Amino acid sequence: MTTYTPNMNEMGSGTAVPPSPTPQTDILRTAETLRWQIGQNFHEQLMEDIYTEAARIADRAVTRPNEKPRFDLDRTIDRIVTSRIWGFPLMVLLFTVVFWLTISGANIPSGWLSALLLDTVHPLLKAGAAAIHMPWWLSGLLIDGMYLATAWVVSVMLPPMAIFFPLFTLLEDFGYLPRVAFNLDNVFRKSGAHGKQALSMMMGFGCNAAGVVATRVIDSPRERLIAIITNNFALCNGRWPTQILIATLFIGGLVPAYLAGLVSALAVVSIAVLGVLLSFALSWGLSRSILKGEVSTFSLELPPYRPPRVWQTIYTSVIDRTLIVLWRAVTFALPAGAIIWLMANVTIGGTSIAEYLINFLNPLGLLIGLNGVILVAYIVAIPANEIVIPTILMLTVLVTGITGVGAGAGVMFDMNGSAMKGLLDTGGWTLLTAVNLMLFSLIHNPCSTTIYTIYKETGSKKWTLIASLLPVAMGFIVTFLVAQVWRLVTG
Amino acid sequence: MPDPLISLVVAGLLMGLSALIFWPEKGLLARWQNNRQITHRILGEDALKHIHKCDIKGRRPTMESIAGSLHIGTNETAVLINELQSQNLVQVVDGDIHLTLQGRDSALHIIRAHRLWERYLAEETGYSEADWHGQAERFEHQLSADELDVLAAQLNYPTHDPHGDPIPSASGEMVAHGGQPLTALPLDAPGQIVHLEDEPPMVYAQLIAEGLHVGMPVRVTEVTAERIRFWANGDEHILAPIFANNISVVALPEAPPQPEVESASLNDLQPGEAAEVLSISPNCRGMERRRFLDLGILPGTIIQAEMHSPGGGTTAYIIRGALIALREQQANYIKIKRQQPEVAV
Repeated sequence: MTTYTPNMNEMGSGTAVPPSPTPQTDILRTAETLRWQIGQNFHEQLMEDIYTEAARIADRAVTRPNEKPRFDLDRTIDRIVTSRIWGFPLMVLLFTVVFWLTISGANIPSGWLSALLLDTVHPLLKAGAAAIHMPWWLSGLLIDGMYLATAWVVSVMLPPMAIFFPLFTLLEDFGYLPRVAFNLDNVFRKSGAHGKQALSMMMGFGCNAAGVVATRVIDSPRERLIAIITNNFALCNGRWPTQILIATLFIGGLVPAYLAGLVSALAVVSIAVLGVLLSFALSWGLSRSILKGEVSTFSLELPPYRPPRVWQTIYTSVIDRTLIVLWRAVTFALPAGAIIWLMANVTIGGTSIAEYLINFLNPLGLLIGLNGVILVAYIVAIPANEIVIPTILMLTVLVTGITGVGAGAGVMFDMNGSAMKGLLDTGGWTLLTAVNLMLFSLIHNPCSTTIYTIYKETGSKKWTLIASLLPVAMGFIVTFLVAQVWRLVTG
Repeated sequence: MPDPLISLVVAGLLMGLSALIFWPEKGLLARWQNNRQITHRILGEDALKHIHKCDIKGRRPTMESIAGSLHIGTNETAVLINELQSQNLVQVVDGDIHLTLQGRDSALHIIRAHRLWERYLAEETGYSEADWHGQAERFEHQLSADELDVLAAQLNYPTHDPHGDPIPSASGEMVAHGGQPLTALPLDAPGQIVHLEDEPPMVYAQLIAEGLHVGMPVRVTEVTAERIRFWANGDEHILAPIFANNISVVALPEAPPQPEVESASLNDLQPGEAAEVLSISPNCRGMERRRFLDLGILPGTIIQAEMHSPGGGTTAYIIRGALIALREQQANYIKIKRQQPEVAV
């Protein structure tokens, strides 16, 4: 047995020395020798030289006449929108206008749509089904279940999206949004995120699925994942109505009537702000734990301003954003409607599946300051948050056995404020239930459309799972803590 | 309804317990996995690596030095050496421990895995420099020779790890960097950093904090018993000799082309000022470097600072006619030579 004596200066003191060198092995040996002589940063140097040469050729061949004047107008606008004094107030003002237009402007078409789809078409369909002697279970499944859930989603979801997305796209097209990212970058940097997350978050206020798609503008892998996972904490259009309704009924009711509107609006806004703070906190946590090893880069282009192309913008935002999101929501709402109806109507030993589930989840629900009905509603409403309230109402009627309210088992319905408050009080609701419902509505798993979009965008089961389960775990923890502290304080 | 105080306490205990078990790196589960991983095979491989390292440095590997580097007792070490000998990996002659050819190949495989993995972490992931070594210590035992070939191809067959250590080729060849400690470089002679020792971690952390990196040009201006003063890539550094000893340099035949004045980085530009790019720091690697090149940030490019973000920390620059915002940390990588504003764009 030979013993190895190290001699590191001797080239090729290896095991693979061939007995008689052929020309090929000679070349390989030479290459191997040269490989060690070209230096460590050979690739970087080569790449830099290629780029430098390309830039030199381009600079020599391309002339850029008269680009100064246009540039100066841009600089003037930039100086205003990114100034220390005017930058932030201007930003807050613009987005308040956008949200106000969306929420107040959507009420009217939403009313029309629900009058048409829910109050007119639905009875007509039922009558038609009765006329052709359709069995009750089939018409229930198809019309009360699938049609009604879909109609509900469309009437609540379509108008705000059709207003919000074009407005947002106009701001984007004008070139303002990158300046927002620029203004806010420091906050995002401190939480380990990319400034452009401001944009995907804002888009998330319209719809989380669209917000997740909007993270495509973030070119750094780590920051993009952060933006995707935390987008759920931007309170989307589907959840605004729930928040507004519960705040009006339970929190507005605490104060004199003339303050009610203001207080409930404040409650909703604080939930939305809490969502933004949570997304910063989660970004910070993620970038220090599971996302530590992902690649991170930063550069943010601030494109020149240009007059928005209004019609083109409206066309693309309606086609690309609104309709695609709506279509996905509809495809998920159809089976959800069927499941809701079946759960309420399929009985085992005289008790419906829904009641079994509610009774099973009730202890857990009560522990975290909610109840079984709410948890079941959130499970079946994974496809679309819009149907949470109608489902809760329907299930509450089912469980409490109140007669004279609603339209039968498995049929979602809406009702006016005071009657709804009365029904919910009968269902055992307290102020704590309302507060925790608002919190849970903010902090729970994304809807199935968003989950599917996350999967499409990340292409990874692992990140989809994390993005779906992390918020719901956080929701349970937050509502649990609030409930216990509440009970301690109020006795 | 359970008493809220009791449920709070129970939940707190549960969460504390699960944190104790599942906490990354320090939790019981992570420790248990870690301990389970330190198998006999891994101890053997680490021992081979240690003996090879001693061989290269011209030291004599002993039972005690092996026990020390593996954090095990001398009894255990004796058993281990015995086993390695029976596997024909080491040979003990007159009390001296030697590697056999087969043992040397195993050691080189582990070294190749370690250094390729460090290179991979540096180029393709966002782990910080301080994390590279520890991660590579774990992964070096898990990669097969075929996997290493794939990894090497993916990284364009690198010759050196990010600290400047040579990566053995698949056939086991490597050439040491041939550098000398920084303290041995003659005064005012031009040199270049070829290696930064990553052990012990505390010393390495200090070198990282100084912003030193393999490939930087250096020039020593003062050596005393207490300190060594030198220029590296346009910045002046002062280190204790014990720290400077972990930096290896080679002498360069001629002075680097750039004049050695305290250079500025892009961060130092105020809005309205313009400057010419001198270089992108070698610290800036992988995707980040490519992004800079894509944006056209190259030696000779004129860059003008335009405005600061009102939130601070980010500044917009005019680069080849486009307005691009960079963060402080990024702008720091770009060394510049100041210009008069009139010349800009």
